[in-house]
Amino acid sequence: MAAPCSRMASRPIWQFITNVRRTGLKHTGVRQISLGSACRAATQTRSKTESVASPWKLYGAVCLQRLPVISQERNPIEDQFAELMHQMELERSLLSDHEQRLLEDSERMTRKQADNYDSDEEEADYGGQETITAQDQEDTWEQKLKHFQPALRDRDVGGTPLGSVERCLGDSLVLLVQQTVGKETIWLLPQAQWEAGETLRQTAERGLSSLPEADFKATFLGNTPCGVYRYTFPKEVRTERCVGAKVFFFKAFLSAGSASQKEPFLWVKKTELQGYLKPAYLEKVDRFILNL
Amino acid sequence: MLSCLVYLRNSSPLPLIWYVVLHSFLMGVDGHVSQGPWFASVLTLKTSAPLRAEPKKKKKVDPRREQMVRERLKKKLKKLERVPPELIPIEDFTTPAKYMDETRVRGAAQLPFEESERRALLLKEWSRYKQTQHRAEMEAVGLAVEAQREALEELRLESEELYQAALRPDPLLFPFNHQGPSYTPPKAQYEAPEGKYNNITKVYTQ
Repeated sequence: MAAPCSRMASRPIWQFITNVRRTGLKHTGVRQISLGSACRAATQTRSKTESVASPWKLYGAVCLQRLPVISQERNPIEDQFAELMHQMELERSLLSDHEQRLLEDSERMTRKQADNYDSDEEEADYGGQETITAQDQEDTWEQKLKHFQPALRDRDVGGTPLGSVERCLGDSLVLLVQQTVGKETIWLLPQAQWEAGETLRQTAERGLSSLPEADFKATFLGNTPCGVYRYTFPKEVRTERCVGAKVFFFKAFLSAGSASQKEPFLWVKKTELQGYLKPAYLEKVDRFILNL
Repeated sequence: MLSCLVYLRNSSPLPLIWYVVLHSFLMGVDGHVSQGPWFASVLTLKTSAPLRAEPKKKKKVDPRREQMVRERLKKKLKKLERVPPELIPIEDFTTPAKYMDETRVRGAAQLPFEESERRALLLKEWSRYKQTQHRAEMEAVGLAVEAQREALEELRLESEELYQAALRPDPLLFPFNHQGPSYTPPKAQYEAPEGKYNNITKVYTQ
């Protein structure tokens, strides 16, 4: 804060000197007042130059993510490892009730088939009931499993259009919209221009809510922007006042929402972003979109 | 008369009557005590031991003694009852007897050489895979943090006010709840059936 103060202090003195030179000695009585007014004028001009000196237009954009709904499929190595873990656990475990029953049944069978089989003794022990062996039960269960049709985990197998929120339930998707920027309509993250009197986060929220025919309920993660994209306008459009624009991105998670299929929305995975975004834009955006 | 005097030794309130009677008797016709010095000393005789042995006079001492005995017994009972409360057993920590059975032990599998080699190699590959995964994650997080830092820098160059607004924490963000991914996707408009259950958990009271 020291630097601006010294600059402020030096200015009115310079103004005062020029005033004195111009007006001469006639206005010596008014010196004090002119000093005060010069001081105020200096601050006013300084603040004006400050607000004017920023030649960048500000935009607030939202990176709306739909988090994954189901777990991802395993890699081959993950599959192998899971199998190995299961095997090792089985080897280190004790026998379960079902396995013990299997052993007992097999022993009983061997005793029945032996020569010195005493059926009276055996039946006295087991009460003469017709027991269902554990093996029979296993067979019936296997038969049932064959007839069972489980529902598909991932309901779309590449069938749903890109605009649907239901596609790729195992990955996190990002919302893209088509907006006119300058002369072209390009795919980008939904953005809105900043207006005085609001924070950039509010700009981003406005950008999201102003999308036509879409009510997304999003939770914004804090007031801090997660990324910035700065670009200069092409030479024809460039003026003294606005050299270019800065787009500040805010992260949000989708909690609930619906959108009609007609609107130009896209829900894309991180790997698919390349096909839609411009390279310079993509470079900046790719950094903060995490695929975790 | 002398025998009566002897019995009047160690007097209590009642024998005062005896004094009055004796005095009036001694005074007699004359109206004044004209007996010798022996009579005067007799008057000061107190009541004797046999008079003390009356059952009425033991009321104060015995109830006190009985009470003391009762209190001592009660104190002893209280000391015995002051046992520390029994600790509630943690059922998770006690292995059920069912699993200590020897017949349940699975025979140790004899792995062939190839199988054990395959397992060792697979474990090493897995650790390498996990290491690359971890490095990638750390890198991604680093990039995201760097992007945020740049964004704040640019914002500060723009306007201090917006920068300060961006730095303020959001009080409405926490508590933040989110249902993580499940194995199967949720059914639309699914109503879970209300079921009955018998709660058989053991409840211990101390």
